[in-house]
Amino acid sequence: MIIRFNIWYLSSFLISLTVAVPVLMIFSSFFENTSEYSLILKDTFLLDYIINSLTLLIGVLILTSIIGIGCAYLVSFYDFFGAKFFKWALILSFAVPAYIYSYSLSAFFENYGTAYSLLKSISGDAVLNSSIPKLDGMIGATIAISFSIFGYVYVLTRTSFHYQSQNLIDLGKNLGFSKKKTFLKIILPSARPSIVAGLSLVAMETLSDFGSVSFFGVSTLTTGIYNAWITFDDLTLANRLSFYLLIFIFLLFTIENFSRKKAQYHSLPKSGFKTKTKIKLAGYKSSLAFTVCFLVFFISFLFPVFQMSYWTFLFPKHFFDLNLIKLLGNTLLLVLLSCCLLISLGFISNYGNRITKSKFLQGLTTFSISGYAMPGVILAVAYISFISFLDENIYFFKNYNIKSFFIGSIFGLVIVYFVRFYSLANNGIRSGYLKINYSIDESAYLLGYSKIKTFKNIHLPFLKNSVFLVIILLLIEIIKELPITLIMRPFNFDTFATTAYTYASQDLLEAAAAPAIILILISSAFILITSKFILNEK
Amino acid sequence: MKFVLAIITTISLLTGHLNANEVNIFSSRHYDSDIQLYEKFTNQTGIKVNIISGEDAALQKRIIEEGADSKADIYITSDAGRLGLFDSKGMFQNSMSSIIKDKVPVNYRSENWTGISKRARIIFYSIDRVKNHEIENLNYEDLSNLKWKNRIVIRQSNSIYNQSLLASLISNNGIVNTENWAKEFVKNFSRSPKGNDRAQILAVASGEADIAIANTYYYALMLSGQKGKDQQEAAQKVLPFYPNQNNRGTHMNISGAGILKTSKNKLNAIKFLEFLLSKESQEHIVKNTYEYPIIKDFDSYELISKMNLEIDFKEDLLTPVSDFAKYQPDALRIMLQAGWK
Repeated sequence: MIIRFNIWYLSSFLISLTVAVPVLMIFSSFFENTSEYSLILKDTFLLDYIINSLTLLIGVLILTSIIGIGCAYLVSFYDFFGAKFFKWALILSFAVPAYIYSYSLSAFFENYGTAYSLLKSISGDAVLNSSIPKLDGMIGATIAISFSIFGYVYVLTRTSFHYQSQNLIDLGKNLGFSKKKTFLKIILPSARPSIVAGLSLVAMETLSDFGSVSFFGVSTLTTGIYNAWITFDDLTLANRLSFYLLIFIFLLFTIENFSRKKAQYHSLPKSGFKTKTKIKLAGYKSSLAFTVCFLVFFISFLFPVFQMSYWTFLFPKHFFDLNLIKLLGNTLLLVLLSCCLLISLGFISNYGNRITKSKFLQGLTTFSISGYAMPGVILAVAYISFISFLDENIYFFKNYNIKSFFIGSIFGLVIVYFVRFYSLANNGIRSGYLKINYSIDESAYLLGYSKIKTFKNIHLPFLKNSVFLVIILLLIEIIKELPITLIMRPFNFDTFATTAYTYASQDLLEAAAAPAIILILISSAFILITSKFILNEK
Repeated sequence: MKFVLAIITTISLLTGHLNANEVNIFSSRHYDSDIQLYEKFTNQTGIKVNIISGEDAALQKRIIEEGADSKADIYITSDAGRLGLFDSKGMFQNSMSSIIKDKVPVNYRSENWTGISKRARIIFYSIDRVKNHEIENLNYEDLSNLKWKNRIVIRQSNSIYNQSLLASLISNNGIVNTENWAKEFVKNFSRSPKGNDRAQILAVASGEADIAIANTYYYALMLSGQKGKDQQEAAQKVLPFYPNQNNRGTHMNISGAGILKTSKNKLNAIKFLEFLLSKESQEHIVKNTYEYPIIKDFDSYELISKMNLEIDFKEDLLTPVSDFAKYQPDALRIMLQAGWK
């Protein structure tokens, strides 16, 4: 095999390497000594932590698959009352960060919480706290995480369903398959890359989650990571544990890649594409489909919005105390800078991978994006350690004050966002690229198109929708990002997310509600504006 | 002109550049009311206060890695153990002025850092279900007694407040005794630990447990009505009790601050700490956070007593809070080994 070293290869390589820095940094922990905590952990709760992490992961994967694929199937193949509305309304769940969902869930169901107050105002003093279900612990964390990120599965699966042609469904019919069999044997397998892409994002977010699990007191591997670091002052062990998380994710990816074997998923553009005819539901079937979608919409979006609004109306002072313009400016600045960086580099890397067809590059990319499963704060700390290492050990950097340039500046913050969310940008653009057959590139080259022209005139139009989807996902992730912003930010720099966190950490959830609801509204507005693109219908 | 100004602001924002007459604070104590206090300081002195608030360990790591380039002047955190650990790495400088030393009792400061407010970690008991004779003369040590079986709630072992409480027990009773105590104490839990301190008090109010261990200000927050009417009524079903009154006194913890070795605004930083220890500032802190004041000559206790909380209780002034840092790792180990989630 000929490796073609060129500018595309090099830039693609450099981008993946940058993203891989935190992964390499935490790997270096295996060459350092750890404290006695590793033994204590092994003797006590390590197995518990692993079991809890797995339970949470499996629970979230199952729940997000059912909700995500189920809703996508309903709105893509059936016509029922409200179907057009739910098609985009279900994406709104993205606007609610898992930690804000956790606040809502806990505040609603806790002893003397909102549910108690509501019931009491309806039925008087006879309400008992014990009669209100306590959605906390593992169940609470599973619900909070699932309902705030099932959107990944829903959006990606729906897009894939949307582009499945009537031919596939007809094929099922011709083979004499029942609807169920057609779904299981034809529709679902052909949507597999999208479903897997969605679920792998879900898996990584779940494993790296700290906000929800710590809020609900579920001890997962991240608890071990924090204990090691905070109480035993043993960052080495914390890094090692994080690395185990990554190995786990890496294994998942590899298994998926392997089981997919050589199956190709290109759809033939336009030729032979017959627009699907949606099946019209009537009577109880229509009500059932409506109820399912409404329930998901209610639980994922209306419920947390209700809880946050309830508090904001009850304690309006907190709302008026916010410096809205400054917070908005800060939030938008971060979003803008990070999106530009992520999208452009995502393109370069993907195009590089595509034209060089290098197995090594693809491997490096897969390796580096597994960093998404690292808890955000560990990633940020790895980055800070790396900069400090460069500054102190590489002669070239000694003359420049790189620390104050990269740590505690907007610039540094945006770079760490880049490292953190690169997998999101990369996966999104890659899934768009997977749909473009290689033969199209070859035809273009034969026609004398340069690589850049091929990219501009042929790839870009095809990728437009994928890119919009990626932008909106990034935007929402960055608006709600917390641990990296907290540690990397400059002085006096707040976003809606950090403001909500500040209040929540003083146990003033009712004050956290105001920034939280604005954060949700901004994300929702962006989702609404771009929903046509996200839904891939433009 | 406006345009030039905008460019300068943008550049300084992007690279994190700051001005001269200022004091830069890294804080893992996130009270909104603290910000108002800082504004008062700026109004009085003309010194601008710049803040980064965040999670404790992460902020410490950032300061350490920034090294000599760090812009941080003061580090504030709300646990004596965390403060002590940071100090033991040589991050603070000897900076306690005579004003600070005069105001703060010796137990709540060292040469390198000082407390700025304090809190008591006490027992909250159900008025209905706990008899007077049960609670009288109670010590933390007695909570391992079989008679409390299925009656106690407390948060998880990763709570820094629990780690400091256990550290103080180790400091007084030794490691082996504390290990034995923890094993029995955990058996008395009425549920698997979850939620914050307020959730523990609510659990007692709702009948899930008879006593809770929690910091005083969580209770005051509910009783003040800030958490809504229902939680205010719930708090009224529960009373505070200050343990170990007949011996060393109730376990106290602090929020504290130190001036960093690499501080470039040392004089401003000292001024700032002295300001925090002024009567006016202490009143502001007590009024907004319901913590206890750290200074000796404090006299505005109306609010605290309005919140059912004691003023004249015996504080544990014998256990140096600096011991917390020393024993926190052992404390967590003991809790984990006892099966304390």
